[in-house]
Amino acid sequence: MRIKQWSLAAVAVAVALGAGACGGDGGGGGGGGGETVKVGGIFDLSGATADVGTPYANGIKAYVEQHNAAGDGPKIELVSEDYKYDVAVAERLYTRLKSEGVVAVQGWGTGDTEALRARVTADKLPFMSASYAETLTDPAETPYNFVVGTSYSDQMRIALEWIADEAEGAQVAFFHHDSPFGTAPEEAGQQKAEELGLGFKSYAMPAEATDYNAQLQRAQAGGATHVVIQNVATPAAQLVKNIAQQKLDMKVVCLNWCGDELFVDLAGTAADGTVGVAPFAPVAVDAEGFKPPADHLAKKGSTLEEASLHFAQGWYTMAVMAEGIKRAADKGDVTGESLKAALEEMTAFDTKGVSAPIDFTPDDHAGMKGSRIFEVKGGQWAPLTDLMSA
Amino acid sequence: MDTFVQLTINGLSNGAILALAALGFVLIFKATGVINFAQGEFLLIGAFVIWFAMVEVGLPWPAAIGVAICVAIALGMLVERTILRPLVGQPVISVIMVTIGLAAVLQSLVQILWGTRPRPFPDFISGGSVELLGTTVAANRLWAIGIVAVAIVAFSIFYTRSREGVAMRAVADDQQAALAQGISVRRTFALAWVLAGVTAVFGGALVANLIGVSGNISAFGLLVFPVVIVGGLDSVPGAVLGGAIIGLLASYTGGYVGGGLETVIPYVALLGILLVKPYGLFGEVRIERV
Amino acid sequence: MAASTGVYHTTYRADLRLRHSRMEYARLALVFAAIAVAPSIVSPYWLTVLNQIGIAAIGAIGLNVLVGFTGQISLGQGGFLAVGAYTSGLLSAKAGLPLPLSLLSAVLATAAVGALVGLPALRLKGLYLAIATLASQQIILWVVTHWDAVTGGRDSLVVDPPVLLGISLYGDETFYWVIAFFAVLSAIAATNLFRTGVGRAFVAIRDQDVAAEVIGVDPFRYKLLAFAISSAFVGLAGALTAHYYLIVTWERFVFDVSILYLAMIIVGGLGSVSGAIYGAAFMIAVPAWIEEVSRNVTTGPFAFVSERLPAVQQLIFGLTIVFFLVFEPRGLARIWQRIKDYFRLWPFRY
Repeated sequence: MRIKQWSLAAVAVAVALGAGACGGDGGGGGGGGGETVKVGGIFDLSGATADVGTPYANGIKAYVEQHNAAGDGPKIELVSEDYKYDVAVAERLYTRLKSEGVVAVQGWGTGDTEALRARVTADKLPFMSASYAETLTDPAETPYNFVVGTSYSDQMRIALEWIADEAEGAQVAFFHHDSPFGTAPEEAGQQKAEELGLGFKSYAMPAEATDYNAQLQRAQAGGATHVVIQNVATPAAQLVKNIAQQKLDMKVVCLNWCGDELFVDLAGTAADGTVGVAPFAPVAVDAEGFKPPADHLAKKGSTLEEASLHFAQGWYTMAVMAEGIKRAADKGDVTGESLKAALEEMTAFDTKGVSAPIDFTPDDHAGMKGSRIFEVKGGQWAPLTDLMSA
Repeated sequence: MDTFVQLTINGLSNGAILALAALGFVLIFKATGVINFAQGEFLLIGAFVIWFAMVEVGLPWPAAIGVAICVAIALGMLVERTILRPLVGQPVISVIMVTIGLAAVLQSLVQILWGTRPRPFPDFISGGSVELLGTTVAANRLWAIGIVAVAIVAFSIFYTRSREGVAMRAVADDQQAALAQGISVRRTFALAWVLAGVTAVFGGALVANLIGVSGNISAFGLLVFPVVIVGGLDSVPGAVLGGAIIGLLASYTGGYVGGGLETVIPYVALLGILLVKPYGLFGEVRIERV
Repeated sequence: MAASTGVYHTTYRADLRLRHSRMEYARLALVFAAIAVAPSIVSPYWLTVLNQIGIAAIGAIGLNVLVGFTGQISLGQGGFLAVGAYTSGLLSAKAGLPLPLSLLSAVLATAAVGALVGLPALRLKGLYLAIATLASQQIILWVVTHWDAVTGGRDSLVVDPPVLLGISLYGDETFYWVIAFFAVLSAIAATNLFRTGVGRAFVAIRDQDVAAEVIGVDPFRYKLLAFAISSAFVGLAGALTAHYYLIVTWERFVFDVSILYLAMIIVGGLGSVSGAIYGAAFMIAVPAWIEEVSRNVTTGPFAFVSERLPAVQQLIFGLTIVFFLVFEPRGLARIWQRIKDYFRLWPFRY
């Protein structure tokens, strides 16, 4: 028996890669200048968060289509790819996008945003994503991350303000996903609750659980009157169903990832009375800003109701980037740096009722400072308050 | 006291569902020696087929379950025929790897057919709650315990009384000896996969009833590992006891301690039990000979 | 000597040699040449893929030492990678240790953790052991995400760009050489390991541990040693991810990763150093290649499938694994061996 050689492996690899490289596009042209601007997209279309990642990505793609058809500003070429919620794949795709000469990237979740933040800073590529962690809003730390939304911490502050208004001295139980995404607003919540004289305790929601009864038992023993959820729709719906089944007297406040249509759909009647801090309004709400995405979908034989608020969220996130690109193009070449500068001059970008106006400055990348609050009534989200700021 | 009752029922019902999911696992391992990494995907398919038949087609729930069972049987036979049979006599680890590939295939099929959007599972088990021992308990949890109890008893009878059940145990014990007795090992393998698929229909329905129909169901397959191992890989009562232990432990830790500790405690318990009883609580101790 | 029917050895010395024919030296030279020119001919995207393969290959070699050579199935790979990544990441980010030292510490720390995790292996076998290692992985990850004071908990750890002797190693092109160096080193080390008494003891344990004990191989010592050595490689791979990506997040080390690595060595070939490398290349390059090919589909006449494209990609990948193993259950290394044998003996069949 001969000893096998490790060495041969690399030949196979090199051959495979050589073949692959020929199949690829090779290097990309320069993104700056010309009439077409390349924007990269790293989306989750088949991974753990594909349920909301798909409409978000579709919203971004739809906006680009609409933008190019309207011909307002330079044409945008969106090069997007599915990263399956796998950080390693996101890193790989990012390198390709960079080599193809994109001037900015639309990302998706906490994992990819965190993993890429060092690289986008080094490569000077503006990066937007649906991860609204407050750490991403500070240009001193992450100069190229732009948050088109209300940071999780601000959402939490708004939720607590509302609770304090409604019930003085309430005991708040903070139920969160057991991850950086889940704990992002925890610290802000603790501080704010202290200021407002509210009780505040955190409860991790383990992934892959069929119920949160055990955690609810503990919350109840702690005298919780209000529950704030920082989690996605499926577990959040599970939690409110458990609350209903156990007939617990707790008012539920959802932060943006559970304040959506999917949550109501999954929780059914248990969702009634749930309050949501939603930077992007649910689509059942009457707002002029829903018309363009709705019209676009109508042409494709679909409706905004079907597509959910995450479609509008993607749509307007891309709208902000497109506006930045247009402004940068008016001044000269569109590069990562010029786009960053253009975005940092943006004030009061109006989404016509869909969200708070969006502002960026060179030392603040938190796009939205406030959010409206909505409530589920008869299986539909309805407005409860006007714009509240943190 | 309320809390304790509440947590106990919760733990038991979770344990029951885990045990049912684990049963399919044990069935396959017992007969073929293969860890089936696609068991979670079997649950997923079971849940999606029932949902599809009830909501999209509009069948009543017994018919929907019937359809799902047919799909499970077809799937079990297909897997045995196309994948396992060519691999008879090959290293077990290759077969295990094939189940990983199979898991990817099944998961993507579900996505291709039904997309990624989670759906509410139709209420065919009452979604209400009942008063029990002075506390409020969700009715579907009690149902889950009941259904699983029936399923487990049925399987125990099948194993000890029926011809096929005994044949299956014989094959598990020694394939060559079983062949010499005139037992068809192929048929037994096929039967094991079919039965695993059928248990997954029930397991999938119960899980979906609690968390809705979504890709997350397949992740539930992973939770099964501590359960089967604590009980002993090749034991049906072991799967039940393992389910109860793991379910109760997670529930009590979540209810009394918290802090995310409930996700890791089952694994700590698992290590502890294995250090004392290397073949689980009820697993068959193998005597090694050279 | 033309067309011999095999390679025959007349001395033990010859038998112990790593390569036996001129052909093998030629192939080796080819491999080094390929490694040397690869970064200058592939596109940046494929360079990233190459880097990922290199890191994965180191990890897979380590796993193969344990699973393929010693016969101890491990589902705890993700945990070991995490230990390596966090040790090296923390030491360089917080304590400012230079790169070689932080890598070395990561290797040693992971080896120690590996030996600890290997303790149950003394009593457990087969699947029971596999699940015990899975439990260890879950416990390691839990500690990593909840030990706020040291690891920063669930937040990600930012690592400074790697510097060696004042030269920055940041960037795909530069770090490629670091990865290539360690990958080659790991391959050589692992190959040589199985020419030593320790390596042969591992194989004896794999084949029949009771018999091994009878002939004087202490299973206690060698099983722990196998866990430690294997983990050392894996720790190195983990540490490299920290300095390559400049960020350490626990999401990179979840259970799926353990499965992925196990898949690599099974698809590549158990008990073969080259198999581990083939497997790593296969499991990373094939999905990347499927993505690449199907990219054009979204714009062409097949645009209607674009909505379901990611699922279709996954389907193709799953089917590839299944067909490969049904075709050759012993993995890619075996297929390559057969091809070589065929040509070496050509035109004879045996």
